[in-house]
Amino acid sequence: MMRNILLLSINDLAIALKNKTILLILFIPLFVFISLNLLDGTDAKVGKIKIGLIQDYAYPSEITRSVKAAGKLIEVTWIQNEAQGMRLLKEHKIDGMLTNNDKAPGNLALLVLKKESLHTIAIVQSFSALQKAAEGDRPSWISDIRSLHEGGIQRDTLPTWILMIVLLVGFIILPAQVAEEKEKKLLLALLQTPIHEVQWLIAKLVLGMVLIITAILFLHLLSNFGPVHLFDYIALIVAGSFCFSAYGIFLGFLCRSQASARTLGVMFYLPHLLPSAMADVSQKLTSVAPFLPSYQLYEPLQSILLEDGSMAHMTFDWLYLLLLGSLMCYLSWLLMKKRWLM
Amino acid sequence: MQLEIRNLARLYDKKRGLAPTSFAVAKGELIAIVGHNGAGKSTLLKMLANWILPDSGDVVIDGIDLRNRAAVVRKVGFIPEDPNLFDFFSVEYNLKLFAALSRTPLQRVEQILDEFALRPFRKSKVQALSKGLKQRVNIGRALLADPPVLLLDEPTSGLDFEMTREIYRLLNSMHDAGKTILFTSHRPEEIKNLATRIMVLHEGNVIFDGAPREYFQSEIHEKLYA
Repeated sequence: MMRNILLLSINDLAIALKNKTILLILFIPLFVFISLNLLDGTDAKVGKIKIGLIQDYAYPSEITRSVKAAGKLIEVTWIQNEAQGMRLLKEHKIDGMLTNNDKAPGNLALLVLKKESLHTIAIVQSFSALQKAAEGDRPSWISDIRSLHEGGIQRDTLPTWILMIVLLVGFIILPAQVAEEKEKKLLLALLQTPIHEVQWLIAKLVLGMVLIITAILFLHLLSNFGPVHLFDYIALIVAGSFCFSAYGIFLGFLCRSQASARTLGVMFYLPHLLPSAMADVSQKLTSVAPFLPSYQLYEPLQSILLEDGSMAHMTFDWLYLLLLGSLMCYLSWLLMKKRWLM
Repeated sequence: MQLEIRNLARLYDKKRGLAPTSFAVAKGELIAIVGHNGAGKSTLLKMLANWILPDSGDVVIDGIDLRNRAAVVRKVGFIPEDPNLFDFFSVEYNLKLFAALSRTPLQRVEQILDEFALRPFRKSKVQALSKGLKQRVNIGRALLADPPVLLLDEPTSGLDFEMTREIYRLLNSMHDAGKTILFTSHRPEEIKNLATRIMVLHEGNVIFDGAPREYFQSEIHEKLYA
């Protein structure tokens, strides 16, 4: 009995080796290790609060004096105006900006990316401590907190869920389906009819895009939340679903079997998902994420859904998505013409 | 000639595959392609079916170059050794899908269901059928667009006696209907009963091409099945 179990286990291991599933066992820890190294550490330099102060704004002298004195805790960036401050906030170059409180003139408001973040808590705590040290029990310097991302945690997480859906269809579902058609010689059977290779490719793209758009639509219906610039949002989703569907079809063509396609899919899924979704909490990841195609979808998604942004400022992103999608379609077509691994 | 093959070659490595090969096939011939495993039989048929691309050479089928895939698939029906059907769908779905893609009228599906005695199984999922029945669906699908040339790769491989006889009957009736047929086989009785011409491949080269009577009297047959 033990001998049979051992033989079957060795056989299962051999299958896992053959269909490359075993690669995941090596890949996932390696990926986690690299990601953790890319995440910001807790050393003093990174732990400093980066605050933006507007050059022409007349801050009370106690504030500027206290902030200067707390140089080890707070790093000040002098900015020209609020617009520049917002840009630096989005780029994660500053954690917050002290500006005028419109509701109570003469008082200060703290502008941050997200209200419910560790950075915001750290800023408020630090300024409260500085204020107490400088003035005692007088009212707090910061009388209001404004955030670039409006709508709470549910809305904040929406771009990440949408990215997950797009990548799930693109990197897990489509490559497996393409590889299955290759493995079972179904694609070759279809090519025994007068259909053109491009027609097959377009049909697969349509499948991917319909799956993605349906899932996103369903998500919006359940969350009862819609974007302000609806047309821009639809255009971005169409461009993103096209790009990642084409990417998935290409990955499917690189594999001979469904099992290989699933392994390859996960190896693309995780790196594309994590840096984009975690870039919000890490400055290091923010600098790496833009090199990933998923970031070119994630960043405009955040902008449209959370900051009421429009496509006019995202020309590079959607052009990138369309060009990458077209390149992947072309490569898939070439592999199909060559009957690659069929 | 219906099929003209000139210097057609595809080598996977130095020994396996098909060395440059030339021959012609007249309309209505029923050719058995014989040889050991790895002799190049399936490679030859797969190249004619556009499943794999040749390294070199030319093929013209009814005046159409093989490279013109969309046109040539109307002339050739290929039946691989293992049925490649959408096995999670029904027999009817499979036939209708391929009929629609081949722009064949849907009445043809009904004809095929009758001709191949598949009507009782029309709603059955392909995965629930025996290999023999799957092979019948596979042949039926290849005949949907009524192509003049049929290529069959070991059509009776893995079938029981009854199903094998059924496939012989189908091949004979297709031949009687004027189809040109090329099939690969390992079974001497199959070759003897069906073929009007025999080609023997050995290590990618044609070593015999002639009538069945000559073949069965030759040393090649003796050596092949020794």
